[in-house]
Amino acid sequence: MNVVALIILILSWFFIIFGMISIFSLKNMYARILSATTIDTVASFLVLFALMFISSGFQLIVRFLILIIFLLITNPISSHVNIRSAYLSGIPIKDEEVQL
Amino acid sequence: MIDIKLFLLLTMMLLVLAIIASFIRMLKGPRLWDRILMLNLISAKVVLIIAIYAIYMDSLTLLDIAISYGIIGFLTMTLLSKFIMTGGREK
Repeated sequence: MNVVALIILILSWFFIIFGMISIFSLKNMYARILSATTIDTVASFLVLFALMFISSGFQLIVRFLILIIFLLITNPISSHVNIRSAYLSGIPIKDEEVQL
Repeated sequence: MIDIKLFLLLTMMLLVLAIIASFIRMLKGPRLWDRILMLNLISAKVVLIIAIYAIYMDSLTLLDIAISYGIIGFLTMTLLSKFIMTGGREK
């Protein structure tokens, strides 16, 4: 049971590093928001899943399930609210002149 | 047998590095929505750090703190976005 958790934990490091790279390398704002939030959701899901394998006891597992369901629902919703707020405020989808 | 606590420590250090990178991006973000996005990412990563630390210390109350911190981060994000979208006016 420990080895499975360790493999999932190592797999989640790559997603965290990809999220850090995608914040700095993408030029367009909408692409940045989309990729950063998606990769971050996958990374948090993997870390919490690995912690659920390590933990023993009913109380811990119930709280981890609540955290996983909550993050899976609210993380895409907040990304959607952010993009909708940017689009309704008049930011064009293709912008080339904004530098990092 | 491999000690799992070492890997938990390494994961926490990597998350702290990710928070520092997000903070640097937040300081030089060209627009307002980039900064709100970085606020969202930092809050999600803080929830992860608290959850890992709860397993590391074998404590149950830290997980409750993690759940409530997640709720606070989500409410901050959505209410701030809606406030900026309406330009500070009530609709």
